[in-house]
Amino acid sequence: MSEMWINMGPQHPMTHGLWNLRVKIDGEMILDVDPEMGYLHRGIEKISEDRHYNEVVTLMDRCCYVAGFAWEHLYILASEGALHIQPPERAEYLRVLCDEFQRIGSHIMWYAAFVQDLGLMSPFLYGMRDRDLVLDLFQSYTGARMTYEYMRVGGVRSDLPPGFTDRARQVLDWLTQRYEEYDQLCLGSTIFRKRCDDLGTLKAADCVAHGVTGPMLRAAGMKRDLRRDRPYAVYPQLDFDVAVADGADVTARYLVRMEELRQSVRILRQVVDWLDRHPGPVMAEQLPRWLGAPYAPVGAEGYLLKRNFPKGVGFSSVEEPHGEAQAYVVNEGGEHPYRVKFRSPVFANISAARQYLVGYHVADIPPIMGSVDVCVGEVDR
Amino acid sequence: MAPLTLYTVSNDLVSSLLTALGNAIPNPVGAWLKSPDLITGLSVLVFAAILLAASMLNTILLIWWERKLLGRFMDRRGAMHVGYAGLLQNFADGLKLFRKNTFQPREADSLGFYTGPAAYMVTSLILFGILPISSGWNSGALPLTLLLALAIFSFAPLFIFISAWSSNNKYSLMGGMRSAAQMIAYEVPILLAVVAVVIVAGSFDLTTIVYEQQNYWFWGPLVVALIVFVAGMLAEMERIPFDLPEAEAELVEGWNTEYGGMLFAFFMLADYLRALVGSILVVLLFLGGWTLPTWVPAAATSFPLAGIFWFMLKTYLVFGLFVWVRAALPRVRTDQLLRIGWNRMIPLSLLSIFLAALLVTVKCLPFLGCVPSPGS
Repeated sequence: MSEMWINMGPQHPMTHGLWNLRVKIDGEMILDVDPEMGYLHRGIEKISEDRHYNEVVTLMDRCCYVAGFAWEHLYILASEGALHIQPPERAEYLRVLCDEFQRIGSHIMWYAAFVQDLGLMSPFLYGMRDRDLVLDLFQSYTGARMTYEYMRVGGVRSDLPPGFTDRARQVLDWLTQRYEEYDQLCLGSTIFRKRCDDLGTLKAADCVAHGVTGPMLRAAGMKRDLRRDRPYAVYPQLDFDVAVADGADVTARYLVRMEELRQSVRILRQVVDWLDRHPGPVMAEQLPRWLGAPYAPVGAEGYLLKRNFPKGVGFSSVEEPHGEAQAYVVNEGGEHPYRVKFRSPVFANISAARQYLVGYHVADIPPIMGSVDVCVGEVDR
Repeated sequence: MAPLTLYTVSNDLVSSLLTALGNAIPNPVGAWLKSPDLITGLSVLVFAAILLAASMLNTILLIWWERKLLGRFMDRRGAMHVGYAGLLQNFADGLKLFRKNTFQPREADSLGFYTGPAAYMVTSLILFGILPISSGWNSGALPLTLLLALAIFSFAPLFIFISAWSSNNKYSLMGGMRSAAQMIAYEVPILLAVVAVVIVAGSFDLTTIVYEQQNYWFWGPLVVALIVFVAGMLAEMERIPFDLPEAEAELVEGWNTEYGGMLFAFFMLADYLRALVGSILVVLLFLGGWTLPTWVPAAATSFPLAGIFWFMLKTYLVFGLFVWVRAALPRVRTDQLLRIGWNRMIPLSLLSIFLAALLVTVKCLPFLGCVPSPGS
């Protein structure tokens, strides 16, 4: 067969979203690839300039359907920097709770999609089943399963319902058992190892050159995790290890994500214990009223008029489940952010596709792209 | 007395009906109705209709069985709502497909596009027709049933390739290519594994092979051949882990990407028909067909249609094994599939032939058991 270009996407089972991977093939071999993004662009950054600070949180949930909390947290951290607001400690712990449960939900969703790319059908449903427990927890304190709108500038919307921490511990216990099953179904399978070992290799130097971050970078042996290297929220108080692997291949990425699932459980146990012992406010008290402060009555000391409010610039970077997400928020003194800019980790990870796809087989595209963990919502924003 | 076969039943039915009708109607129409040519022709048609109904019913039941079993493997229930435990769900799905508009891509080649699925379906149906299901369900004593069945079985990739190529779709074409490559890689080990059975049974006739297993089912002595045959059948049926021609992750739906509505239903039905035939072949060659071991009390085999009952039970259990494999294993890659076929399966099947020859010579082998001498 002569060389030909085929379009894998924008509607294709491999994409897990809405983007197009143009592949030049000779028979079953990949000669060249050309990722095309932009099919899901909704102009979130531009729309944000026309929304109140807290209203932008709604858009953040739509950035990534599996990691809404991570993006809320990212934006809220940058906004709080721009607005010079410090949230109470309990709110920060609650945000870490959200973040880590979100990481579990996202990684399990990744697991489900990834094994299905390999043709494994049962683990897909096991993954979806277990992710549902996490979503149930989210629903119990935010009322939503995917679009939470939970975090606020200066804190979070509401405290946990009674009995939540016990339910959370039950879920964590259940998940810990299930991780063993996941590993048995994948690492225990010879076909899985044959398909994934030495596949889609992207060495650490190439990762750095292309801005590839997150589990892909850690799978290449580089121990970089923003939760440890550029700590935010209450991560310095928490005890956890950074998951790394050496292979730089698909199996290594699988191992890194599995280890992160276990580390997230470890973090969550500490967070849940802390939350049990330390009741308190979940919203900053000195909030400008135009931000929707729940505690500050009109005329109270903390009430700040908008025209007096200091200008500022906020930058934040968060270890999102897919990689390092960054946000830049400019406060020019108005009710709306003057400019919002995000850096999507998946965009960089996909852009390097030529580095880790060329030279492999067509049948390798789904597992390799699956190991990248594509979330197109955040790529195009 | 000649054994009561499906054909004699339909022949008796047609001849008694036509004789009664011919006696009631005056000549020359009455005499024409009673003519043996007409009776033979009509009884063949009735025979074919019964076969068609039985194969379609079994195929649909097989899809239901797979859906329920797969559901349980996946910690869910499978189809539940249409009919008892979802038994009628596949009829509903079939009706839905039947009502759909049939279309073809603009640049597709009409001839190949439409004859492909039809030929695929027809060859699969012929397969079901020639296989003996019980001592009474037998289309006739062909001496080379096994060879004929395997020959027809290996037609399918040709029609798959025709319909894939004529779809004018790159994904379809790649699926068709993979199907052809897979056929070449897996026909050989399957045939070699079958040779082991033939050596031990001493016949190409499936009925004889079954009766040779009256005392010793072949799966024990010929376990190597069984492994090769089952793995090869998985590839022939294009089921996970060997479903590369329709690997939905990279090839959308493989060679049947462009098919919708009833044409898709044809492919789907034919696929499951082939799965059914594959399971039937495993039962016939290795699991004693409709016979039961001699230590089973006679009551288990003496009720009406007992042969068909035990045969179908075994067939569905074998298919359950295929479903289990599908639920547990990921898909291999094309080059790995070919490597498994050429580098592992063929030496294994040669080994199985050697073991079979050894068995026939020395009668008993440690761990593998004994076989009766052919024709005993």
